[in-house]
Amino acid sequence: MKVSNHLIILATIILGFCIDELLNPLSIKLFLDLNFGFLIFAYWIFAFPERLKSSASLFYGLVIDLFFSNVVGFNMLFFVATSYVIHLYVFRLRIFSYLQLSLFFSGSSTFYIACKYLLLSPNNYSYLVLIVSFIITAILWIGVYFSLRAFRRSVFVKL
Amino acid sequence: MARSTPKHTPVRSYAIGFFLSAFLLFSDISYGTFAPLRSFFHASALYGQMVSISFFQKITNTFSSIQNNSSLLQENKNLKEEMLKIRTHDFINSLHNEALIQTNNFQEDLIASVDSQNINLLELASIDLRNYLCCSTHRVFLKTTNSAQVGKNIPVFAGKSYIGQTKDTSMNFIEVILLSDSKHVLPIKSKLFYCDARGAGKPMLISCKLNNNDNDSKNQIGDLIFTSGLGGVFLKDIEIGFISAIKPFLFDEIEIVITLKTNPLEETIYGIVRKEQDES
Repeated sequence: MKVSNHLIILATIILGFCIDELLNPLSIKLFLDLNFGFLIFAYWIFAFPERLKSSASLFYGLVIDLFFSNVVGFNMLFFVATSYVIHLYVFRLRIFSYLQLSLFFSGSSTFYIACKYLLLSPNNYSYLVLIVSFIITAILWIGVYFSLRAFRRSVFVKL
Repeated sequence: MARSTPKHTPVRSYAIGFFLSAFLLFSDISYGTFAPLRSFFHASALYGQMVSISFFQKITNTFSSIQNNSSLLQENKNLKEEMLKIRTHDFINSLHNEALIQTNNFQEDLIASVDSQNINLLELASIDLRNYLCCSTHRVFLKTTNSAQVGKNIPVFAGKSYIGQTKDTSMNFIEVILLSDSKHVLPIKSKLFYCDARGAGKPMLISCKLNNNDNDSKNQIGDLIFTSGLGGVFLKDIEIGFISAIKPFLFDEIEIVITLKTNPLEETIYGIVRKEQDES
């Protein structure tokens, strides 16, 4: 994959984290922790499993850690782990229905949020936040999936 | 989505990445190893944010100033249009006032002339100019309303004298046969004679044929002519014109040409005197 394509993918992930930064102060009052950045990253791994390997995940995670996280290594760790799981089960995931995909990616996102709270802010850990985030993320995943698919088909024509 | 055959996912690279990340995370959480680097990137991000915000603000300001300019230009244009409308309105109003004054003057003259308040004032709709200037048929058409129904053979005033009589009414237009129409006959008198003057078929002219006796030969050019009131249509003693020419006609007759007092081409308001029975 070309560097320009990596930059496009990284830009979409950064955009997702920017949206999270903007909306989370509002959505957290409704016990909702949005996680568009992670969902977008997961989509790209799901879409290009052969082209986005561990090094790409590590790099994306490092950039996100440097710009959006309080610690270096957190997003790197989760990106690499998520990437590995998706790579491992990508052909199984492709025969999943949209509902099953929603539940899988929403579950991954919720696990990410849970770990984030446990590691970085254990005092704010809340099951209500996790449950609400799981439900809402499952719904949002459909939108993220179709939007990014349309974007991928228009931008990455030759891939 | 890209389709490919299933391949083995080597765990080694992911394991290296995983442990590297875990190590970095542990060292950062425990010892704050990357705090300066993080601070640098956060500061860079904030700086970038500020620059982009100021850039967007400048763009927004530029656009808003352009919008302000365009709104000012639009307002200026609207004001100019409004001024033009007011000027036009004032001009029309002044014309209308002048017309009203003229109409009032004409009405007062008419009331004084015919000694009656039963007057309908009508506007000129059209004058058959082609025939008026060349031929013997001299007609004008006046605008009327449904409420002001006018019968036939009602005398019509314009200026300070009679100008003709009504001939027909159709579709809110009154056809007026002018005194100068060759088919029109007007009983007239002067100090010396009475006669039925027929329209000359020429603008503003009527003529009268008299016997060439001693009395009639005393007529002079410039003598005033009045209506005699003998036909029962026109009131008597209304000045209608003056003698403008006296011509020998046959061996014992003369033709007296009378120029009418009112030029229909110069009049726009016409008056019709209603008869007493019309009022009821």
